[in-house]
Parts: sequence; structure tokens; C-alpha cells
Amino acid sequence: MTGHVIEGIGLSRRYGGFAALDNVDIAVKQGEIRGLIGPNGAGKSTLIDVLSGRAATRGGKVLLNGEDISALTPQERRRRGMARSFQRTNIFPDLTVEQQLLVAAWAVPGADIAEVMDELRLTELADIPAGEISYGDQRRLDLALALVGRPAVLLLDEPAAGLTMEESLGLARILRDLANRWKVTVLLVEHDMQVVFSICDRITVLHLGRSLSEGTCAEIRVDPTVIAAYLGTEA
Amino acid sequence: MTTLIEARAAKPRRKPVGHAMLIGGAVAALAVGAALPWIVPTKIAMSLLAQAMFDALLATSVGFLILQNGRTSFGQAAFFGLGGYTIGVLVARQWVAPELALLAALILPTAVAFLLGLVISRITGVAHAMLTLAVGQAFYEVVFRWRELAKGDDGMSFDLPARVFGFSARKLQDPAFMLVLSWTILVLVLVGLVLFTRSRVGQVAAAIRDNEERARFLGYSTVMPPALVYAIAAFIAATAGILQACYNGYIAPQMFHWSTSGFALIMAIIGGAKFIFGPAIGAIVLFYIKDFAGQFAEYWPAIVGGILVVVTLTMPRGVVGLALLLWRRGTGR
Repeated sequence: MTGHVIEGIGLSRRYGGFAALDNVDIAVKQGEIRGLIGPNGAGKSTLIDVLSGRAATRGGKVLLNGEDISALTPQERRRRGMARSFQRTNIFPDLTVEQQLLVAAWAVPGADIAEVMDELRLTELADIPAGEISYGDQRRLDLALALVGRPAVLLLDEPAAGLTMEESLGLARILRDLANRWKVTVLLVEHDMQVVFSICDRITVLHLGRSLSEGTCAEIRVDPTVIAAYLGTEA
Repeated sequence: MTTLIEARAAKPRRKPVGHAMLIGGAVAALAVGAALPWIVPTKIAMSLLAQAMFDALLATSVGFLILQNGRTSFGQAAFFGLGGYTIGVLVARQWVAPELALLAALILPTAVAFLLGLVISRITGVAHAMLTLAVGQAFYEVVFRWRELAKGDDGMSFDLPARVFGFSARKLQDPAFMLVLSWTILVLVLVGLVLFTRSRVGQVAAAIRDNEERARFLGYSTVMPPALVYAIAAFIAATAGILQACYNGYIAPQMFHWSTSGFALIMAIIGGAKFIFGPAIGAIVLFYIKDFAGQFAEYWPAIVGGILVVVTLTMPRGVVGLALLLWRRGTGR
């Protein structure tokens, strides 16, 4: 055991001639919120896809609590405590909020949807088909689906995309709070730097499919290679 | 946010019909069914209505695939025909006892549909529709050309045995008895489907229909629940085929033909494929339309086609969807 809940070692992924991920290493400790930032095409979503089993890695391996899960299906990874959300809102539009959270809970023994509905402020929307609720509510529902059963690892791909600043920061506060109380380890892809710097313990910067830098928020803010490649002088 | 929540909380939500109301409705429907021989005036009318019940079962089977799997089938007649042919051939040849023939006629199409479902549930859209059409027509071609099986395109008549499960099988060819029996089976099938959609596996199948990828990442096999839905739909279609074959004492390749599947699909669309009861209502509506149009024109299918165009354009949720909309507007719900 290395003390890391989720680890990616030497992860690579190519799409045709394009190297979306090139020998990337990442390791996240329990309860940590790790930000994953970088310009478009840096490989952030691909890294989430490889870790979650949506895409296969060419070489390298994925470890969950020290166990090699590289060959496991997404379903098997979910049963071992890895959950994810998607870049675009990914819910069940014809099912009510409660119905789909129940569906999510049935896959995880002992899962309780009441706590998730309460924490994500979805209780009042329980009987409404998800396709009829607002976009902000749908994003919270998307997060709730991943949080059902208190997963050990949560991979979030731009959970605040399309939200207002107020909604984004509200979502960030919920995430920080749940990570602390539920001991959920979070890997967060996000373009909104205010969200990233407000909740992340550490940040990994990807650039052109490679790991450019890693450190605390304060270290990343002043890292000249990161400023040059991504943040710019405004950060 | 608060304003939005309050606005929604203030609006009464549509709750599904409770189990007590469902059972009460089913008991009332079964009572109506038992009284049908006294309500329907003539044997001919009873016979035509019994045929409409077979159609209603087949249409329900097609509609259930659309409702639960989000897939359109142009080949559901394959299971209708397979049910009818299995019982017809086994009874005519007397290879097994009639009871076993009945069980085989139910199990064979269900098992075939389940195995097919494991493959075709992964395919969507036009490709799925074409694949079901191909499967249905493959069955049709086999029975059409295989004369030794059941006299090929001529079809084959067969005599029912004297008794099945201790009951007189000849009653299956009595219009009044068959009308009550087929009505009863239809009611039980509809109630069963409502309960299925509320069950865990039904809800998971609906989630897979809505968003297969998300269901997979929640930890579900996205193949088994849809395959189970295919099997249930085939069981219903086979039941309709068995009833029709026994009532007529006759099986013919037309039972497998794509036009049989097509008419069932039209019934489902006219009634409202997004509702469990819609396709059965559509079958009854189409039954009366055919009866009415047949009095005026030899080419009544053209009239049915015109009605389908009008319904598709003006009532995308079918007759049941329109009726529900009018009822909700009328009651302010």
C-alpha cells in the first residue's frame, strides 16, 4: 500500500496519431480533493476516462486502494467504490429525481438516498422528472447520482460547467464539505479557477497529454511553467 | 433557487396510480369482461372483438418494447407466429401432450427473444428496426417455403384435442368463451406490465433506455434488463398467437409477415406507445376504424394510413395521450 486511494501509473492513450495522454502518473490520498487543470486538449477528460474504465490505457495501470483495476469494467470499478460524473449533464430525463437516485442506490448495498437528497438539496424535487428541472438542479442531481453510496473515489469532469458563479461556488462548498465529512477522495476537472483554488488541496496541471506540474494551490499559482502554459499573468 | 423550489412545491405533482386503485380497476375490468357475452349482441360481433383482443395483445407487446426499451420493432410478428405455429404443429402432429405443446409455445418464443435481445438491445435507431424486420421476415420465409412443416404458404388447419389441463379445449373455438378469455388475459397482462415497470428491474431498464452510459457507470449490466424486456414482449406476442391459432384452428405464414408487425405498430402509435394501456386502446380504435372504413371502401388500408398520418402529426402521444391531456386541462391537474 502506498497510502494513495487512487493511482495512475504511466497512463497513455492515443487517438489515431494524437497522444491524448503520454505516460502520465497521478496519485491522490484519501479525503484529498485534487484539481486537474490545463488548456483544452491537455488530456484531463481522457485521464478521467482512463481511470474510470471508459477508455483503455495503452500501457500503465490504474490502482484503487493498491489493487490493480486496469482490466476491470466500469461496473466492477463502481462496485469497488469508484464513481464519476460526465462533462455534459448525464442524468435520466424521463425518471423522477427520486426514481433515478433509487436506481443508483440499488447498485450499492446499503446506500441511502435520503442523505444525498438532503445534502444536495434535492428533496423538494423528488417527484419531478429530471428533464423538467432547471440546469443547475440537473448538475446537482448529476453529482448526487455519483455520490450515492458514499464512493471512495469520485471523478468529476467539469461539474460546474454552465453554472453561474454563485451556483458554481455553492456546488464547490457542498463538495468540500462532503469530501471532509464522508472521506471521499475527489479528482476534479474544472476550468473555473475560482472553484479549483477554493476547494482543492493539491493541483495537477496537464499540458499536451503530459503532467506539467503538481503542487498545492499556492505553489501552482506561482509556478512559472504553469503561468506560461495555462494560467497567464492574471492568475 | 428557493423561488424555483417553492413554485414547484406549490404545483401538485402527478403521482402514479396506487396499487389499490390498480387492483380495483383490474377487478372492474375483469367483471366487464365476464359480462361481455351479454353485452355484445351477436356471435359475429363477439368473434370480431375476440380478434381485436388478439391484436390488442400483439400491439401491447410492440408498445412495451417502445415504452421500456425505447426500441421500435418491425418483427414482433415473429413471436406471434412462433407461438401459433408451435402449438399448431405440435397439436396437429401429436408429438407431445397438449399441455406440453402449450408450454412449449410460450417458452420457445420467449427464449428466442431473450437470446436475440442480448444482441439487438445493443443496437439503436433505424439499424434496430431493420434488424427486427429481417428477423421477422426470416421466420416468414422459413414457414412459407417449408411445406413439410405446415403446408408452406397454404397454411395448415388442425383439430384441438378434447381436453387441455382437464378443461374442454373445444370451448376455445366458441366466440363468447374466447372473448372472455382473451379479455381476461389482456387485463392480466396490462396489470402485470404496470407492476413490472414499477419493479426494480423495470426501473433499471427504463434508466438504461434513458441513458445507457450513465447506467453502466452506476454499476449495471446494460444488456440483461433490456433482454428481459424483449423476452416479456415476446411472451405476450406468443400468447396472442396461441389464442388466435387455437380459436381459428388454423396457422398460416401471414402470422409472421412484416405487415402483421406493421399493423401492431400502427395500433400502438394510434393508441399511444408511451402508455402501457395505449396500444390496447389503439387496437380497439383501429378495429372500429377498419369496420367503419370497410363499409365504404375496398381499399380501407389507405384510410387507415391517412388516419395514422393525422394522428402522428396532431397527437404525437396517441389517443390516450390526448385523452389524458384533455382530462388534466378539464380537472386543472
